[in-house]
Amino acid sequence: MSSLNFSPRVPVIDANVCVGNHHTGPSPCQSPAQLLEEMDFHGVRRAVIYHAQGEQISPTDGNMYLEDWLDEDGRLIPQWTVAPVDTSMTQIAELHGQGRVTSARLHDCQSAGLPFLPWGYDDLLSFLTEAGIPLWIPLMEVDVRDLVTTLKAYPDLHTVLVGAHYTHALVVRGLLEASPRAVLELSRYEPIGEVEALVDRFGADRFIYGSWYPRYAMGPILFYLHHTRMSEEELAQICAGNTERLLGLTEGT
Amino acid sequence: MIDGTRVIDYHGHVGRWERYGMVDDPELLLGAMDAVGIDIACLFHIFHPDGTTGNDLTARFVARNPDRFVGFAYVSPTMPERMVPELERAIDKLGFPAIKLYPPYTPWPFNEEPWHPIYEFAQDRGLAIIFHTDHFINSRPRYFEDLAPAYPRVNFVSAHCGNVPEARAEAIAAAQKYPNVYLETCSTYRTPGVIEELVEKGGADRVLYGSDMPLMDPRPQIGKIITARISDEAKRMALGENAARLLGI
Repeated sequence: MSSLNFSPRVPVIDANVCVGNHHTGPSPCQSPAQLLEEMDFHGVRRAVIYHAQGEQISPTDGNMYLEDWLDEDGRLIPQWTVAPVDTSMTQIAELHGQGRVTSARLHDCQSAGLPFLPWGYDDLLSFLTEAGIPLWIPLMEVDVRDLVTTLKAYPDLHTVLVGAHYTHALVVRGLLEASPRAVLELSRYEPIGEVEALVDRFGADRFIYGSWYPRYAMGPILFYLHHTRMSEEELAQICAGNTERLLGLTEGT
Repeated sequence: MIDGTRVIDYHGHVGRWERYGMVDDPELLLGAMDAVGIDIACLFHIFHPDGTTGNDLTARFVARNPDRFVGFAYVSPTMPERMVPELERAIDKLGFPAIKLYPPYTPWPFNEEPWHPIYEFAQDRGLAIIFHTDHFINSRPRYFEDLAPAYPRVNFVSAHCGNVPEARAEAIAAAQKYPNVYLETCSTYRTPGVIEELVEKGGADRVLYGSDMPLMDPRPQIGKIITARISDEAKRMALGENAARLLGI
């Protein structure tokens, strides 16, 4: 049963946090310290962060700005935005060579006319697969038909499908069926009872907590996950364990 | 109950919309409600313009768990001859205590003439009306500034509180000017700071928790209230005390 105040019972990694100012407006957090304070308020130990400029403006510049957000104690885990263009491919290869890449995030190329299909993404997806780097894919930025085709073409690529909404209710199961290595991030997925139903169907290892802060508040989905009929073990997997596994992290790294 | 406060969800639906995962299975609703301590949910059916068809389905749904669900009446000005007779039936015979209106399913902004027989009916009875509100022309919260002073015995509830910042500002402005305007919280947008803004600018006594279930699970929606940076007193008011006052329970 809930109370007027909430704190998570298990360790939490927020797997989907955007930092920096988007081109359409400022972020409520203007510094790492402000973001860490927000995380502390909601009981979030660590967060996977990418830069807002990487979404639709420039993946390479976004990654450059992301450097300013990396704290010394490692609570903010960088996620590097990528696109199938030379500048981005060169940058991600260099970062990987430095041992700094634990995940990547897809830049929006669909709105510039490039569908998410193997003919446009082979070099990038082959590199990520070979390097064992998981790719976060915002669902509103790809056509689901293309996504299924591409997930099937790269069966060894680990992916996190980000931002499923109730308007994706008809496709979520199909996407998870299409790629056994796909994991669903839960920041926007609110159809009634669906988290429990999906965990029953696919297992807790296919889902991760993310808030997509500051697009969405950090607390509500975390509160939701703590008020389901999932076991404590499943809750711990979704709130942190699965993200640690995807990123190759161990506690304290 | 949450920490001794009776929790009332002021925004829910009867009906199915499977393409978005919306299924009005009572066990699904009650399971989610029980998991977080929601005592009562207010429900309405908005898919039938005659009003009667949906209101009967709502009454049937509520009758199976009358201590957990409250039905609201729905009518549409697209069938004007049905509006007042159906409201009389829904309020007097089905026992519904309030009205739900959905302007996007009509050609008219909700301050225009076709809607006014509903407001006159509600004024006579002293009823609350919950409106879908957003930033589109039919559903702008700024229309409450026309209606609230004209129908002072009606309590006007801005569902979703306009959903987006521009429309939310209109809803808050109306609440600041008129004591009979309320701000309901459910939204697929869970923007940080919105609950705090509603409480600080609109007043804690005007905020109503709602979820939009079963289109959306009530748990993340109530999580918006619980995890907001507002006082426990404000949480109690938003979670149930304000709704109880409006419903007279």
